[in-house]
Amino acid sequence: MAAIENGSVTSSSRRADRSLLAAALLLPGVLPLAQQAHAEAAPEQAVVAAKVLDYQDRQPGLERTHVQAPAVYLLLPIRGEWSLEASLVQDSVSGASPRYHTSISSASRQTERRSAGDVKLTHYAARQSWYAGAAVSDEHDFHSRALSGGASFSSEDNNRTLNLGAAFTEDRIGATGDPTLDARRRTMQVMGGVTQNVSPRDIVQGSLTLSRGTGFYDDPYKFPDHRPDQRNQLVAAARWNHHVESHGATLRSGYRYYADSFGIRAHTVDAEWVQPVGSRWRITPGVRYYTQQAARFYVDPVYDAVLGEPFPPGWTPGTISSPDQRLSAFGALSASLKLDVTLDAAWAMDLKLERYEQRADWRLGGKGSPGLAPFSARWVQLGVSYRF
Amino acid sequence: MLPATQGQAGAEDFEFDAMACPCVLHLAGDDDEAARTHRAVAAQAAIAEVRRIEAKYSRYRADSVVSHINATAGTGKRVAVDEETAQLLNYAHRLYCDSDGLFDISSGVLRRAWDFRNPALPDKHHLESLLSCVGWSSVKWDGDSVGLPRTGMELDFGGFGKEYAADRAAALLIERGVVHGYVNLGGDIRVLGPRPDGSPWRLGVQHPRNAGSLLAELPLSGGALATSGDYERYFELDGQRYCHVLNPRTGFPVRYWQSVSVAAPLCSAAGALCTIAMLYESQGLEFLARQGEAFLAVDHVGRLHRQDITELCT
Repeated sequence: MAAIENGSVTSSSRRADRSLLAAALLLPGVLPLAQQAHAEAAPEQAVVAAKVLDYQDRQPGLERTHVQAPAVYLLLPIRGEWSLEASLVQDSVSGASPRYHTSISSASRQTERRSAGDVKLTHYAARQSWYAGAAVSDEHDFHSRALSGGASFSSEDNNRTLNLGAAFTEDRIGATGDPTLDARRRTMQVMGGVTQNVSPRDIVQGSLTLSRGTGFYDDPYKFPDHRPDQRNQLVAAARWNHHVESHGATLRSGYRYYADSFGIRAHTVDAEWVQPVGSRWRITPGVRYYTQQAARFYVDPVYDAVLGEPFPPGWTPGTISSPDQRLSAFGALSASLKLDVTLDAAWAMDLKLERYEQRADWRLGGKGSPGLAPFSARWVQLGVSYRF
Repeated sequence: MLPATQGQAGAEDFEFDAMACPCVLHLAGDDDEAARTHRAVAAQAAIAEVRRIEAKYSRYRADSVVSHINATAGTGKRVAVDEETAQLLNYAHRLYCDSDGLFDISSGVLRRAWDFRNPALPDKHHLESLLSCVGWSSVKWDGDSVGLPRTGMELDFGGFGKEYAADRAAALLIERGVVHGYVNLGGDIRVLGPRPDGSPWRLGVQHPRNAGSLLAELPLSGGALATSGDYERYFELDGQRYCHVLNPRTGFPVRYWQSVSVAAPLCSAAGALCTIAMLYESQGLEFLARQGEAFLAVDHVGRLHRQDITELCT
């Protein structure tokens, strides 16, 4: 009889033989064949996914760009330690893409086709992974080639992951109607980030991305548009994901700071609520606010008294200036709703709707650029994936 | 690229009913789309595995292995069994031997004498006739085929089938790379691995007398937790509680323990250990100490007994 003191068995009295456990261990299939040793597990199933994006933006009195982009994605696990990912997208862009200030509404319509694809090979080892990738994007007036590589390292307890990456991109720029334009630009980018589990319910992530580009940044469809031939960019981002146990949901939130040598400074805050409904459905509403300060060479739609429209006051050939609305000061709000459903062991579908509204006077802490019409856009994306 | 960012944690509950119990797979890991889909796919496979075992060993299904075995009772025939069933019968044999015959998979027939919705003692003759149908030692089991010698005899895998299913489902999930979460089949829990941040799951143990409250919360990062108690199906008569755990020799409910919880590497072991401890009554503590797994037990006067239970946080 074991000695019992204060209602507990003292360990010195134990003669553990664990015979029943030994017998249970003989049962078939009660222990996994091979325990997963990788912190960052290599995928075990292949995935084929297809998505269709429909994008439409507009300004008062004008339906601008309409994009339809079918995309396919393939993930192929290779021998448990490697994976190969590839994606292809074909955009059909129609509309009044080349535009000056919105006060001018004489843009000619055109239809563009873009084909883009990328491949990425990842090697998984214990608590680390390495990848190399390549991407191409082709339009008749724009060609882009990129190479990237990086690694991810997890701490012993898997509570911290360090991500490092670098990429090199070379773009060639032409223009419809100007066969003589054959310009280039090269961009080098480095990225570092840390993901840390701070509690069972909270994960924080910080990342810093720096890039340096040189070459042709002008918009060949805008005149006059002449920009610096160097652009340095910085993105600092923080994310916090919080699991709300009472609702079985996750709140994802993030802040992003952007600065570049054009003088643009931008802040983004976003939040989304990921709510599982039953075991198959998930509904994810989200909101985002974006505010930016104009590039220092952005010019308002005020024109030179002598030259008139579209020349900014005091314009001379070679003046660094741009009327591109994307370089103006503005604020923007967007709201999105995503629905995911897992149909069965192999099939899953998702639908995402997003609405974007941009206004000059929604800029935070200052006036937005004057004389610009409101801009809005909507996205509808439908996806289906199959695993095998 | 379509896949989302890495490193965020997500978790889902996959709820289902099996083996007459509410069941749940709580699976956690990365919160990107690929990881979520991967968990959902793995969960479907694990649920299918639980249902496979339920169908194969259910005594309510005429086409189950158990029904085929039970159909041999008193006929002199034997049924050849497959490898999985053979190993389960070997395990049942081992449980019988290690419990001095108290854990007996032929004792299920005794249920017919007890109606826990009706507080009344069974008819003595009825109980005696049922007791004559109990006895694993008389079952013809040679490792390949099994036969029941007496008419009315029945085998019942209910004593460890659910725990075995929890182990199989967990092993399948881990093999598919789902290493954070747990499988809970009606209170029999097998942990796949810790939370994604490495911290243990906090698993509650039901208080045997206060239905709404917990007796304890145990931190588990791996292994299994099972509980047996006198509070799930019982009636009270003349101040005495009669629960559904029946002694195969007397046909009467055991009395000593309100609840026994065992944590062990496998749910199949944890479940059998707590049931056997219940059956040993006052000698249950000695049995548990000998087996060496961590346990938490409440005796008939509400006293707590435990071993290594604070060491579970490993």
